[in-house]
Amino acid sequence: MSSDPDKNWILRADSLLLKYGRNMVLKDVSFELTQGDCLTIMGSSGCGKSTLLKSMVGLLRPSKGNIEFRNGLLWGKSDLPNQEAVANFGVLFQGSALWGSMNLLENISLPLETFSELKAAEIEEIAAYKLSLVGLAGCEHLYPSQLSGGMQKRAGLARALSMDPQILFLDEPSAGLDPINSRQLDELILELKQSLGISFVVVTHELESIFAISDDSIFLSPSEKTIIERGAPGVLKSSSNNPEVVRFLSRTAAEDQNTAG
Amino acid sequence: MTLKPKILQITQNHQCVDLTLSGDWVIRMESGLVQEKWSNFISPKSFLFEKCRFQIDSKSKWDSSLLVFLLKARKELSERNIGVDFSGLPEKIQNLLSFADARSTNRRNFGNDTLDYESNSLGLFLLSLQQFSTFWGKWLWSVTQLLMGRSYMRFTDFFVACRDCGASALPIVTLIAFLTGLTMAFVGSVQLEKFNATIYVADLVSLAMVREMGALMVAIVMAGRTGASFAAELGSMKLREEIDSLRTFGIPAMDFLVLPRTLALFFMTPLLTLYADVVGILGGLTVGTQVMDFSSLHYFEQTQSALTNMWEVYSGLIKSLAFGLIIGLIGCYKGMFTGNNSTSLGKSVTSSVVVSITLIVICDACFEIFFSFMGYR
Repeated sequence: MSSDPDKNWILRADSLLLKYGRNMVLKDVSFELTQGDCLTIMGSSGCGKSTLLKSMVGLLRPSKGNIEFRNGLLWGKSDLPNQEAVANFGVLFQGSALWGSMNLLENISLPLETFSELKAAEIEEIAAYKLSLVGLAGCEHLYPSQLSGGMQKRAGLARALSMDPQILFLDEPSAGLDPINSRQLDELILELKQSLGISFVVVTHELESIFAISDDSIFLSPSEKTIIERGAPGVLKSSSNNPEVVRFLSRTAAEDQNTAG
Repeated sequence: MTLKPKILQITQNHQCVDLTLSGDWVIRMESGLVQEKWSNFISPKSFLFEKCRFQIDSKSKWDSSLLVFLLKARKELSERNIGVDFSGLPEKIQNLLSFADARSTNRRNFGNDTLDYESNSLGLFLLSLQQFSTFWGKWLWSVTQLLMGRSYMRFTDFFVACRDCGASALPIVTLIAFLTGLTMAFVGSVQLEKFNATIYVADLVSLAMVREMGALMVAIVMAGRTGASFAAELGSMKLREEIDSLRTFGIPAMDFLVLPRTLALFFMTPLLTLYADVVGILGGLTVGTQVMDFSSLHYFEQTQSALTNMWEVYSGLIKSLAFGLIIGLIGCYKGMFTGNNSTSLGKSVTSSVVVSITLIVICDACFEIFFSFMGYR
């Protein structure tokens, strides 16, 4: 995909080929993320959304292709991702993945302690501030196991924000949350996007939050194993020529069961 | 309300067979007779009819057992090129049957995920050997980085790990070492009595303890206690994506998780061994003074003369360094390479203990063979 020079891209995926062992999951995946946008990765179960996300956050090396940030490529020669590129983003995992042996303050301070020159007191202030951003002020000394699912998600978000990243990757942020919590999380995302100018890449199949938060989207298909549609979800719903995409976005079951097989 | 048994009635008129079902076709009722009747009906090689019509008594109760029977019947009949007519059945049943017809929508190619060499056990063994050597290599690299002051390891983690696998293990090590010394004294005293040389129990216990049993017993306790807990802790961190989240911050799990644990065990095992040696000798002393009526001074002097060469103690400590390394590396390796489900977590914990103990015993034997060939004994 040729890049549009007018667009202000912040992340670019260039013809990725993703495999697990011999199993090809996705091929020819190219897209870019515009600064300040929220890009949703959609697709029915098993289409490789999470795999794609893994390759973008440095957990799965693509067999071909690369991820490019403004300050360089994510995957260099080694099996580990490029440290400078990693500093661009924060990740919220599906199960929050907070470190269970540490309390929230320590969870958020750890990256700061590791990668910054700040003094302990300053780090603590920053960590407390991040927690207050997500509405968890006062919970500094609680352990992840003492929190509800929604609070864990928000704490995970605070940890993802700890290094002031430009991009946040969210893996199914509303999975396992009740409608109210999930709505609150969407609002939080919108707020962070507007006030801090953070760009988002969100993997989700929660339709309501797709329409609420995303400016742009890519749609992966498990049968084609690549991107079959891209654009703003609201526009796609009314104008996409692809029946699979329209069905997904308007939440209708397939008329002919055999097409997907 | 009582249920009526399942009944299958077969009436033949020329080209068409009427199959009438009555009774209660529910899962709780046995269906042996009906199945037998059906298989008798379907078993002939050739049939004089071309079509089967199914009907069900309107008073019958039914659930999935009926549907399963009908699906099976249809499949077997169509294999024999006999037409099936379900139109006599209630609409509900017909709908459910067509539901079961709809093919699964998600037909991904599962399986074949494994590579060829993964399918045989020798290949699997070689693969894990390769994996482990890679892990070991990375560990060594990590240690070098640490020595050069460029590691992500936090020393607080190291001290916490030291406390967990050192000081917290003292009670169990005390118990095991004391009883080992005591048992050896009893066993030895019976043999030595024959030569009227019971005082040599002190030599036997002290030498066996410092050369062999101290290190071995501590290693076995550590493998069961600490090695397993490393495997379980890292394994469940992996399951909960906590290791992935470390990696996305650019913090290597090897430095942050494996290094403090393995190093703590590496340094703590010799200390515990030294402690176990002393406790074991005290165990022997208890038997010597309480059962064999030596004075403690006499027993101690005998022990002292047996241990004139400190090499005896050092050789045990050298072994225990190796044992500590084995336990730490195997425990962490098994934890880090846990699969992504809870069954494999259980397996890795078990195998961390089994593999560590096996390797400890093998390594111990190698050390003894080496020492005696080199004339260090």
